[in-house]
Amino acid sequence: MSDFDPGRRRFLGHLGLAGLGALGASSFLSACASSASGPTASNSSGAVTIQSNLSSPQAKAAMEKLIANFNTQGKGTASLNTIASETFRTQLPTYLTSANPPDLYTWYAGSVANDYASRDLLLDVSDVWKSLGDYPQSLRTLSTDASGKQIFVPMNNYWWGFFYRKSNFAKWGVQEPKTWTDFLALCETLKSKGIPPIGIGLGDTPWVASAWFDYLNIRINGAPFHRELLAGKQRFDDPKVKAVFTRWREALPYFDPKGKAYPFQEATTALLAGKTGMFLIGTFFADAAPKDALGDLDFFRFPIIDPAVPLAEEAPTDGFFASAKTANPTGAKALLTYLSGVEAQEAYVKASSGIVLPANPKAKASDSPLVVKGKAMLDEAKELTQFFNRDSSDALQPTADTALTKFIDKPDQIDAILREWQAGAEKVFKG
Amino acid sequence: MAFVLVPFAVESVWVFWPALQGFWFSLTRWDGMSPTTFVGVDNYVEMAGDATFRGALLNTVIWLVLFGGLSVLGGFGMALVLQKERRGVGFYRAALFTPVVFSLVVTALVWRVFYQPDGIADTLLRAVGLEQLIRPWLADPQTALYAVILPALWRQIGYVMVLFLAGLKAIDPALHEAARMDGANSWQRLRHVTIPQLKGVNAVVLSVIVIDSLRSFDIVWSLTKGGPYHSSELLSTYMYSTAFQSLRLGYASAIAVVIFVLALAVILGYLVRAFREEA
Repeated sequence: MSDFDPGRRRFLGHLGLAGLGALGASSFLSACASSASGPTASNSSGAVTIQSNLSSPQAKAAMEKLIANFNTQGKGTASLNTIASETFRTQLPTYLTSANPPDLYTWYAGSVANDYASRDLLLDVSDVWKSLGDYPQSLRTLSTDASGKQIFVPMNNYWWGFFYRKSNFAKWGVQEPKTWTDFLALCETLKSKGIPPIGIGLGDTPWVASAWFDYLNIRINGAPFHRELLAGKQRFDDPKVKAVFTRWREALPYFDPKGKAYPFQEATTALLAGKTGMFLIGTFFADAAPKDALGDLDFFRFPIIDPAVPLAEEAPTDGFFASAKTANPTGAKALLTYLSGVEAQEAYVKASSGIVLPANPKAKASDSPLVVKGKAMLDEAKELTQFFNRDSSDALQPTADTALTKFIDKPDQIDAILREWQAGAEKVFKG
Repeated sequence: MAFVLVPFAVESVWVFWPALQGFWFSLTRWDGMSPTTFVGVDNYVEMAGDATFRGALLNTVIWLVLFGGLSVLGGFGMALVLQKERRGVGFYRAALFTPVVFSLVVTALVWRVFYQPDGIADTLLRAVGLEQLIRPWLADPQTALYAVILPALWRQIGYVMVLFLAGLKAIDPALHEAARMDGANSWQRLRHVTIPQLKGVNAVVLSVIVIDSLRSFDIVWSLTKGGPYHSSELLSTYMYSTAFQSLRLGYASAIAVVIFVLALAVILGYLVRAFREEA
């Protein structure tokens, strides 16, 4: 998933922001900045504080239950602190650099975690990983920082794909496409029936467009190039990147023109109402779907463009890391061990509404056909990517939002757009 | 002495010190985590060549002129119309003031519904046969800025109206009486009696408007976040996204300094003139 991760909690984010806007310009900025040394949660070797951005009602309730369970097991005590996700995102660097930081945090695997690790802000949790021997190698690699120690404990992941309603595809007499050519043919068929083939929701959630960029890039240039590009080791004005947009342009005429104006939640409503044919989105979109529609949902993987490129899929991984400055590393690790266990992961999957796959291979995911299919798709993939911001940084995401929304509006200006993107990215990498 | 020293001490800690720190940060490169690096005027040099900054500056000027100008005209007009006590006038005043009372989050939600595809705006245009004008209001770079100014005005006009109403109430009715006796028509009375008498209020209104324009952030952020691709970016939103999304706090502080200088220049300019006239 993504942006500021992401739209599903955006409303709470706004509440926080409205307050900020009321403050004066100059003093406001530095007041926030200078509060980095201010006091935060403080505890000795007693209870472990876990700072959570899982603020949607189901996820919050699920976390509360897990923590309550942990507290009855006698391995330590923990207290949960749930924070609106946009506030959490902007405050995370402040938490981690403060003198008395909270002990544990919910966050995402990948560059976004490794970046903190490279600043020595994260606790080495290799001890916890000793008991996670049966976790797949892909998750272990993902949780390992540049110096070779584990700094992250995954909780679950989910997948992205083209979602559609089975009943609508049957009504329109169309099949899931396998290749890019099939896909374009499908779009053409839907368009001829008067249905905007591809739904999207960029108003307020422009980061959704990054899924298109990620997928086209990993299908055309492969996941290693994609990761290097996002790490600043390749250039956005490279001809290989332009090739991504040349492909994308073939599909542009099939995008729902209204998708520019509404957020992905409304794009979901449009898909469910049969006003668009399909929608490239992560499984979290189902949070906004009515229960009775869930059984009618199906998805297909992003079509293959070059069969020679090893198959990669986006599988954003959520989990936990701990502050290097925690006063109680033993307690923090005990809680991480509990959270990575079968019991906790199954309880979380059961209690939360989302369609997620537990990270622990022994934990049972939901047995709905959709989840079984999603798990099979990820198991088949040679490489997993996280999502644009997770494979790079939240700081790079706005440069992508600008470039991609502009491309969708003005595909003719692609050369200028890529030059601007490169310039914007260089500023972010430079700091 | 304590009456001055205590507030001064509090101000120093909460206002002056952070403001000075802001100036210092504008000369550094800082991501909010690592130690700051002193870079001299690099941030200001970068700003000179930054097209997004120029766009945001231009948009801020457009905002100042349109939002400021129209809210003064609208607020003053409404105050003139509604100053006379007559039946039902309280209702209209309250109605115009209501948007000020709404939380901005609510305001943004209401206007989002208004602008959404097939929303109220589109329905209205269809009803009067202007459907060729329909566009994604907040997502079209041609219209996004203006589509955000409208809700801001909707809010501000009621506020400015109240300020002017208070000013109009304070004018001695005898002046109008005398002017009428001398045969001044209503335009002449407005031009030569009402407006000069409002001088004190004008200073307040101008300061309020300049400050509100330059700090306009919430409504833009909740409707467009400065997008699509920076087309509705104001200095305030650019500062915020530079600081808290791009984590370039040094450059963001430099933008904040520019905003501060702009506000100070406009307001000081006015105050100096006002004082000179009085002296």
